[in-house]
Amino acid sequence: MSLLITRPDHEPTTKYLSAWSEKIIKLAQDKGQKVLDLKSKKATRKEFEGRISKLNPSLVVLNGHGSATAIGGQDDEILVEAGDNDHLLHSRITYAVSCSCGKKLGPKSVEKGNATFIGYDDDFVFTSNRRCLSKPLEDKRAQPFMEASNHIAIALLKGHGAHDASKRSKEMFEKSYKDLLSSNADANSLQDARLLWWNMTHQVCLGNADARI
Amino acid sequence: MATQKDLLKDEEIRKLVTARLSVLSEDTIISVGSDGSFSRDELIEKVEAGDRIGNKIAQIEMEWLQSFKQN
Repeated sequence: MSLLITRPDHEPTTKYLSAWSEKIIKLAQDKGQKVLDLKSKKATRKEFEGRISKLNPSLVVLNGHGSATAIGGQDDEILVEAGDNDHLLHSRITYAVSCSCGKKLGPKSVEKGNATFIGYDDDFVFTSNRRCLSKPLEDKRAQPFMEASNHIAIALLKGHGAHDASKRSKEMFEKSYKDLLSSNADANSLQDARLLWWNMTHQVCLGNADARI
Repeated sequence: MATQKDLLKDEEIRKLVTARLSVLSEDTIISVGSDGSFSRDELIEKVEAGDRIGNKIAQIEMEWLQSFKQN
């Protein structure tokens, strides 16, 4: 079993996703998995295509900006695109923290091969605190978004099936937004609750729902 | 419900979304998909302008409210 993860970090959104993904990498390493970490300038199409073919990872986590049809790497260079190289996602589980790729790239990638794609069919949104931009892991406002998202990979690494991992992640989104609503909710909490609910609603699990890494 | 593109043409929706944003703390940043990260004041400007980001924030607000109606 092995994990390939992409972590572009060229602007604030990707910096946050990259920093919080360290927790996934640590868990994978603790579990003795081989981890291929395509961070920063290594998150290029050439590296992605070469490494995925060579390592043949059972789990791929893609952080980056995306569209309905593609997911980007460093400086938004397209790493994988529907109808071009989506075959690289066959026979494995992919989790894409990237906007809207659950609309077209996800369905395309699971058309053939025993593949699973977990992602979002609309924008992935989150709140952060301006004062934490240089230290994302200390950002309490971003924490519930990042932890619920990370929980997909964490559940998969702990042996859960793909559908179950997605369900557990959605439950974390739900618990977080309900906690925010039920505490003496201030304006920030109410806004964050809406965004957590949005991500939960738009998370999709496509293809083989029972797949495990 | 109006389509996402049309939402902010509705004066009442625009006022509602602007009011929601205006009470957020000044240090709030919201990342909206591939469009990037925006401060509270930048988002208010986008809602006033009725652009894609402003309409996305409005869509989230309206679908959230709609979800309570459905439940």
